[in-house]
Formats: sequence, C-alpha cells, structure tokens
Amino acid sequence: MKYWEDIKPGDTSTLGSYTVTAEEIIAFAKKYDPQPFHLDEEAARRTIFGGLIASGWHSCAIMMRLSVDAMRREEMAGVGSPGIDSCRWHKPVRAGDTVTVRTEITETWPSRTKPLGFVRRKAEMLNQHGEVVLTVIGVGMFSRRADRLGEPPPKARRADQLGEPQPKARRADT
Amino acid sequence: MKGLIYFEDVTVGDTHRFGHYEVTREEIIEYARQFDPQPFHLDEEAARRSMFGGLIASGWHTGAMLMRMVCDHAIPGSATTGALGFDDLKWLKPVRPGDILSVETVVREKTESRSRPDIGVVKIESRVHDQRGETKMTLFSLVLYRRRAASPPA
Repeated sequence: MKYWEDIKPGDTSTLGSYTVTAEEIIAFAKKYDPQPFHLDEEAARRTIFGGLIASGWHSCAIMMRLSVDAMRREEMAGVGSPGIDSCRWHKPVRAGDTVTVRTEITETWPSRTKPLGFVRRKAEMLNQHGEVVLTVIGVGMFSRRADRLGEPPPKARRADQLGEPQPKARRADT
Repeated sequence: MKGLIYFEDVTVGDTHRFGHYEVTREEIIEYARQFDPQPFHLDEEAARRSMFGGLIASGWHTGAMLMRMVCDHAIPGSATTGALGFDDLKWLKPVRPGDILSVETVVREKTESRSRPDIGVVKIESRVHDQRGETKMTLFSLVLYRRRAASPPA
C-alpha cells in the first residue's frame, strides 16, 4: 500500500490510455450535456467544432477513470478530494481519439486534524497527436501511515521549495 | 423570453435559480462503475465502513449533474458557445442517494476576448444546493458568450 508519506513533490507519471468512441460521447451527452455538438454527428458538423466532440465533463470523467485505475494498480490509499483549483478544456476530444494523462505532484501537506495528507497534482490529458486537450490542477487526500501517526506531523513540501504553501482548495476542517 | 441573451446583455450580479435533479443509488453506482470505481461510490457496505459513512456520488458525477441542469435551464435562450473551463471547484459535502439538487448562479465578472472580437468570457459562480438548502459544490465557470455587435440581426 502506498500512503501520503510515499508521495513526493516532483513525482511524475503517465496513466495509461483510453479510446473515446462516438457511442460513448453520445451516451454521456444524452445523460449530462445534451448539446448538438455532443449528440449528433450531422448537427455537430455544422457547428464551430466541425464534428462530434465529447462534453468537457466527459473528458474530466475519463481523466478520473485513468487516475482511479492507476491508484488501484499502485495500491494508493486515496480517500477523495476537497476540490479542483483549475480545469481548462484546451481542445476538443473527438470520436476515435485515444487519450493519455501525464501527472506531476506539485505540493504535499498534512491535515492538522485527521490521519490524512493532501497532495496537489497537475494532470494533463494528451491526444494521439501529442496535443494537450485538458489540464486539471486539483487536490487529493491520502491516508497516512498508521505507524507514523504518533510522530509530529511532517512539514508541507512544495516542488519549488519556496516558502510556506498557500493551499487554495482545502476543507474547512483541516 | 425575447431573443437570445448575448454578452452585452449579461450584467455582473445577475442571479438565477433553477433545476431539480433527483439523485438515485442506481445512477451513482452506474456513473462510478464507468468513471470512478472507488468503494465509497460503488458499494453501500464498503461505503458504510469508509469515512463517508454511506454511498456518495463521485464529485465528477455531481459536476455532470450540474451540467445537465445548466443545459436544461440556462443554456436555452443564451448565446453561449462552450466554456474555457472552471476555477476553484469545491466539493463541500457528499451527494447521497435521495438528494434533490438545484443550482444558483451569479455572474461575477465579464471580460472581452483579446483575440476574438466576436466573443466575451463571463465568469459565473455556480452553487449546487440540496433539498435542505445545504451547499454541496461550488465552482466558477468561464463561459463563452457571443457578442451582439458581431452577430447578424435576428
């Protein structure tokens, strides 16, 4: 099992790949984002996007799936997220695209009240042409090693080592 | 409603309330199986043993449910053309089966696009509430609106 203590600023990884089909784009859009450019190839061709594109929330969902699969593979003790600092949909994800996700840990800090630690991560989704289609900077929570909980909490760490961190998306109780 | 709402028609402070989304156990599990297969989104028993004390929706699922309410109630009648993304999303409280969600939006900022004279960016704060008035999630969307001046007369 990998705990908060095992995650360090500067850690990078690549999270597998996911091929997005027209059927999946349309099924997601019918449930959550029924706009013409997500629903119908013909209608989408006449829009500024020039063809069927995935809902931005669908791209985020795919990024989450790749992240959860990676956490399972590496047995990471993830316990949810307080929020996302920023999300940008740079380019459309289209039917037939195969996307992958590149991540970098930028900051870690312990909870003051719970046996948890926080991790800030920048994640970029790339398509098969190497174009960045989505960037999400967000915070994850991970369990801390039980055998270290009696020790004083470690200090926050940041990739650039500049001063104290000013975490933005934090739970009120930490 | 008379005509489309363009960038020029949007005013900082504009507030809207809309939506009625009933969250079911089946939908929480279905979304989680496809996109967020963590035990507290998938399985009632495992969720009860987690720090959440019961089944909760994926945070990204709550975002998708917000999008559905925006599609049904806010986008029709608006000259929007997608979004750049969002900032400062907070998952404040878990969304559980049986919750009924609704949305409150407030226009926070307007910026004319430097690169595209036909477009403006509107920063909209969205707050997702439940049936008890508790706020579950907040975020600031960056929504693209067409500018009236650049559009052909309706």
